[in-house]
Amino acid sequence: MNITNGDIILLGHAAFGSLAGMAALWIFVETLNARQETAGRTFKAALIAAIAMGAAWMLGGYWYVHFYPADKAIILKGPWPFAHDLVMETKEHLVFITGILAFYLPIAVRDKIYANAAARKMVLSVAMLVVLTSLAAEGFGAIVSHGVTVALQRGNGKGAR
Amino acid sequence: MDAETPQLGRASAAFALGAAIACVFNTALAWAKDAYAPLNNFMASLTGHHWITHGLADCIVFVGLGVIFMKTPAANKIGPNRLVSILIWAVVGASLGLFAWYLFL
Repeated sequence: MNITNGDIILLGHAAFGSLAGMAALWIFVETLNARQETAGRTFKAALIAAIAMGAAWMLGGYWYVHFYPADKAIILKGPWPFAHDLVMETKEHLVFITGILAFYLPIAVRDKIYANAAARKMVLSVAMLVVLTSLAAEGFGAIVSHGVTVALQRGNGKGAR
Repeated sequence: MDAETPQLGRASAAFALGAAIACVFNTALAWAKDAYAPLNNFMASLTGHHWITHGLADCIVFVGLGVIFMKTPAANKIGPNRLVSILIWAVVGASLGLFAWYLFL
């Protein structure tokens, strides 16, 4: 078995991103059933979402800066150059939006969402936006990864790494 | 359950507006640095990589505007439903704007 630091960082990035998305879904469900006694639990879920998104952001950023250039060269020589030109370019900026929303969640849930319809609406909206954009980021990541795979499988990416 | 209150808290409203503007700023900066290479190079020179500078700039805009809006009545003057709509449309518009930019240009 040969697991490199780059592998661990990339998988950690995806894992923390998924965790943040799941925490946002947890917040959404808690908010649908908001009660005073669940406010603390909802805030903890918001902290998990924000911290996990921060970790996903840092790990993904480190991998993007230090390891991605080799994959990018392979992708661009392969049959799926759009995996970088369209998908990765969109993803690397879309995750900033997901991050901003995730960092906002702990602030939004500090309102009394069990007693405030406007606050509930805000938290439900933001949580769902985090879920949807993090799912999009996960899917985009899979396409980028497959862009490398098809380049190597079809031979066009040879020598790029 | 307490009586329903129609307003968002001061911090919630302030940072919601800050988040909406930061999302739009994020897409505008992505467009600008992609269209104007000297900006991309300048951003790269600040931190070693344009992406790192971009992320830091987004965070500064989000937190900075959130703090400013907390000290002013600007965000609370906007109705909560309108603020939710502004944030949703900012996120949808900014996200689609990114995708369309790299799709067509």
